[in-house]
Amino acid sequence: MILYTPLSMDDIFPEDEREYEKHKWINVEGKMMKVYDHNDGTVELTQMISTNPNDYLDTRYMPGSRLKL
Amino acid sequence: MTERDDNQNQEEEKSSPASSLVEKIQSLGQSNVASAPDSNIHILPIIGQIEGHVQLPPKNKTTKYEHLIPQIIAIEQNPKIEGLIVLLNTVGGDVEAGLAISEMIASISKPTVSIVLGGGHSIGVPIAVSTDYSFIVGTATMTIHPIRLTGLVIGVPQTFEYLDKMQERVIKFVTGHSNITEEKFKELMFEKGNLTRDIGTNVVGTDAVQYGLINEIGGVKEALQKLNEMIEERRKNEENQVIQ
Repeated sequence: MILYTPLSMDDIFPEDEREYEKHKWINVEGKMMKVYDHNDGTVELTQMISTNPNDYLDTRYMPGSRLKL
Repeated sequence: MTERDDNQNQEEEKSSPASSLVEKIQSLGQSNVASAPDSNIHILPIIGQIEGHVQLPPKNKTTKYEHLIPQIIAIEQNPKIEGLIVLLNTVGGDVEAGLAISEMIASISKPTVSIVLGGGHSIGVPIAVSTDYSFIVGTATMTIHPIRLTGLVIGVPQTFEYLDKMQERVIKFVTGHSNITEEKFKELMFEKGNLTRDIGTNVVGTDAVQYGLINEIGGVKEALQKLNEMIEERRKNEENQVIQ
């Protein structure tokens, strides 16, 4: 199916509200992290917000790494 | 320490940050293991859409201004941080949020440098020029176009006036913080035939420098070199003030 429209995809196929709840921001050791909740007690790190370039070299907080809450 | 203990330690290392912190205190008597000295230059990545008052669906990659603004204040306050690099790869987004970030970066007392990578479109333009010195990589582009409203718009003359005033603020900011003239910027903004079905111009790296919008073509090396020069200059100025 090809849909030609100037509307954004989310306007036509709205995102499930529950999907919003799975993504959350948490604070780990003073660093703000966006995580995806896998609902098994672990969260997957998807994004980290920090202005310190050294934080991005921390192997514990590589994108995709699982954290236990 | 026996081999078994070692394995146990490694296993514990993988567990939650709180317990690994406890573990570190137990084994080393301190919370922070000695690491590389903190960098005196911090980075501020502005990636994806600039998110303002409306929360975008989770699939979108966004930069939220409520996250950035406290960080900018922290950078200004922290005496260990001497310079800031702003990394831009954005498609634009909320005008008010973008202008807020631009004004915050422009008012930092510490030396700031920006690098436009990939794209610095739309409201990314004022953010790119808000730093003391700006760089753009040769392949990056910046789209300059008139601002617009999405969602429910009330079709009255006041709406148009409001939009026009908002646009005027963007133009004033860009011309005030870069070497481009107002005439040239407006000319690029209202140009026809460059963008399909839209007015505006897609300015490529070298052209952006030629128009005076961006200071120089360059990447990481050039940006760090320039920032270090500016930091050195600032230190000298401060020393002179102390002597006097």
